[in-house]
Amino acid sequence: MRTLVLLLLASSSAFAQTRISGRVLDEHQKSVPGANVAIKDTYDGASTDADGNFLFITSETGSFRLVVSAVGYQTNERDLVLKGEPVTLEVELKESITELNTVVITAGSFTASDQSRRTIFKSLDIATTAGATADIAGALNTLPGTQKVGERGRLFVRGGDGSETRTFIDGMVVLDAYGPAAPNTPSRGRFLPFMFKGTSFSTGGYSAEYGQALSSALVLDSKDEDVTTRTDIGLLSVGADVAHTQAWKNGSAAAKIQYTNVRPYFGLINQEVDWITPPASLEVSAVLRQRVVDKGLFKAFVNSNQSDFALYLDEIAAPSRKQSLHLNNRYRYGNVSYAQTFRNGWFWRSGFSYNLNKSDNQLESGGMIEREAGLHLKSTVEKSVSDRLEVKAGAEIIDREYSANWVDDQLGQFDQRFREPLWAAFVEADVIASKKWVSRAGARAEYNALNGGTSLDPRFSLAYKVGEGQVSFAYGRFRQSAPNNWLRMNPQLSSERAEHWIVNYQLIRNNRTLRVELYQKHYLDLVKFATPQAVLPVTLEPVVEVLNNTGSGHARGVEFFWRDNETIRNVDYWVSYSFLDTERDYLNYPTAATPAFASRHNFSFVYKHFVSPLKTQFGFTWSFASGRPFHNPNLEGFMQAKTPSYQDLSVNISYLPTPSVIVYFSCTNVLGYDNIFGYQYAVQPDANGVYARRAIRQPAPRFVFLGVFITLSKNKSVNQLPSL
Amino acid sequence: MKNQIFILMMLVASVAKANDRKYYEAVGKHMQVVYTSHSIDELQGATNALDRISAAEKSKWESYYYSAFGYLMMANQEGEAARKDSFLDQALERVRQAAAVSPGNAEISALEGFVHMLRVAIDPASRGQQYSQLSMQAYGRALQQDPNNPRALALMAQMQFGTARFFGSPTTDACGMARKALDQFNAFKSETPIAPRWGKEMTEELLTSCN
Repeated sequence: MRTLVLLLLASSSAFAQTRISGRVLDEHQKSVPGANVAIKDTYDGASTDADGNFLFITSETGSFRLVVSAVGYQTNERDLVLKGEPVTLEVELKESITELNTVVITAGSFTASDQSRRTIFKSLDIATTAGATADIAGALNTLPGTQKVGERGRLFVRGGDGSETRTFIDGMVVLDAYGPAAPNTPSRGRFLPFMFKGTSFSTGGYSAEYGQALSSALVLDSKDEDVTTRTDIGLLSVGADVAHTQAWKNGSAAAKIQYTNVRPYFGLINQEVDWITPPASLEVSAVLRQRVVDKGLFKAFVNSNQSDFALYLDEIAAPSRKQSLHLNNRYRYGNVSYAQTFRNGWFWRSGFSYNLNKSDNQLESGGMIEREAGLHLKSTVEKSVSDRLEVKAGAEIIDREYSANWVDDQLGQFDQRFREPLWAAFVEADVIASKKWVSRAGARAEYNALNGGTSLDPRFSLAYKVGEGQVSFAYGRFRQSAPNNWLRMNPQLSSERAEHWIVNYQLIRNNRTLRVELYQKHYLDLVKFATPQAVLPVTLEPVVEVLNNTGSGHARGVEFFWRDNETIRNVDYWVSYSFLDTERDYLNYPTAATPAFASRHNFSFVYKHFVSPLKTQFGFTWSFASGRPFHNPNLEGFMQAKTPSYQDLSVNISYLPTPSVIVYFSCTNVLGYDNIFGYQYAVQPDANGVYARRAIRQPAPRFVFLGVFITLSKNKSVNQLPSL
Repeated sequence: MKNQIFILMMLVASVAKANDRKYYEAVGKHMQVVYTSHSIDELQGATNALDRISAAEKSKWESYYYSAFGYLMMANQEGEAARKDSFLDQALERVRQAAAVSPGNAEISALEGFVHMLRVAIDPASRGQQYSQLSMQAYGRALQQDPNNPRALALMAQMQFGTARFFGSPTTDACGMARKALDQFNAFKSETPIAPRWGKEMTEELLTSCN
């Protein structure tokens, strides 16, 4: 007992003082100021000065650990024996690799996220871009790499068709990402931007995780749980919606019902389309988010949409001969996923999605019911092996079934169908050599049970920091099953393939972004007709022998992007320009030619100005695209003619009278350009041997939209701005 | 034997008391710096010292709290957005550590709201929604934990005042809350020598714009 007391007294009365001094340096022998030098489990220590020097005196004696830490560096620990003699130390700190200070691979991709702070495109940008009317594809169409194809409204990327862009929600594939539209009118995306916390739009060279996309991957990350209980009401010139969100401690649920009906609007404004009943749709969606015990998150999303319209189709040669078309579309989408972060650095995510899209087209002379149903099961694991190595691997099954039932007065009844189970696995590793040098290598294996094909596609990308900017490079091989309308005729068709090479330079400084990208893309195994025909076959019989995979093509170009959020107060603008040189020899093309959806030059200027005294944001978007080729059967040659160029000036105004109300107005093509997207020619020449034609125009010169959005919640500072 | 145990207990108790005093003195010294300094270097020195104390004590929240406060002040002094963010990251990390040691503490919840509020200022257009929600939520939580916490009241009043100003709507609610905050500042009794006591001047300043 006495010894214990003595010991306690001894330790508090020992006055041996040790002077500890030294310097803290980084790997490049540069001083680290502001580092914390501490003797573990005591208060003693010091901070380094501007030259990395430190000095302190401690009265502790014995064996200790010296801990040196600084923001941005790995903590350094070492043994230290204190016995009254001065200690001089030199400590080297290794830089820690964090998301904030390390280069990121940017070749081919635009990421919009509120989480990461280094993105050049924000979620809000999608909502507030004039001309987009809150359509994700509409907003992304102002970025380089896209081509304006006004009569389709989809994302056409780098000489690729709209079907070559694939949408993924939380990693799960979406088979029919766009709503139905009348022939030659733009379709809108089925998913509204406000559902997502992050959007990654890749125009090439994307990760091995994403398959079944030839040109582009649009990866949408749905929001985590909501924190406020609220009710949102939207009164629109074309309908109304109401949504309610209920939040609780570790989760939230939301439901939304939306009715859209453009009939009254089309009654006021003359339309190019000869409508019998313009489109109307009823959509119901619901989300559930629940945090589970330790860092687990369960997400579920269901969406159901019912829409219909009817119109008259006329014959080009004889416009008075009309035939009615009634369309009824039913769409169901469900997505359930569970993500879990484990303490030992593993991350696991598994998901399940279901798609059903059924279109019933009824013509006077017959009709077609087209149905596609798909299941997707996927599981991925990720692991940070160290701060220099991250690995990711996964496996998935996409099983889809497609059928088309035709009834034709003259030809009779036909049934074409296929089922395509697709098995895939991927692996990918990120090697972070240093803060300046990151590379990613991966591969994707697929087995397609429909055509029996197995494949292995490598993907590779890297980023290197050059001064304040960075250079990225990406290479990859990609494949996608042939489009449904060809696959149903010949289920033996192989997948179409593409190969991308991308080089990119990006500089972000002071809220300004400069980006230049060069790419080269090869298409292989495109679907091709065995014998070139000017028109598509009218037969409804399966035409196995008519279709093969001998088509090919290429695309190359240079793209430029500049964004400035700094120079003028409250003003944010961006400019993008894409040059595209592409040709393909596919389908019924007699020779390689530039397809009708590809324009050589595309330009966008997006401007947003917030005027504080008026509590209003004004925005406009000016778009230009050079003429697109088309085939004129009255002339010699193939795809030898060009449409006039395309121009559009769209404006939008958002006004916030009170924190919970937003008034939104938008108008496309305010200057009323008569844009012509192409021409349709009669199948047969007339008596003078001339093929009659009809221009494909915008459905109306302008589209005007007015909406009032009201949010009811206990927290008055919440409004619907992010959902516009 | 009984006697010996008693002596031992007394000894441990007096060491603990001495330890508390040592803790209060050390934290108090650096608390003064984070309250008053406008120099990032000086603030970094203080937060480092506070972090050393936190590492040695582990069960005390004040050293985490003032280190977080110090990083907030550094973010305030810094002009560049990315560095501001990195200081706020550091502040939030310490707020979380403080909350882990002292759960349900209204002071810590209020400080968390303050961190989110400063995030908004960096890029109001794209961050306003997300971070003002988080901030209001944290203030709400603080007031649930202690309805009379002057700093939670003052910060919430500040937030409401800013919103009302922006929309040109009446500031009555915000000013009412600021007044209540001031009353609570006047009534506030520190339980320890290092209990938070900032925010009164800020509230008085807000109230001058109310009249």
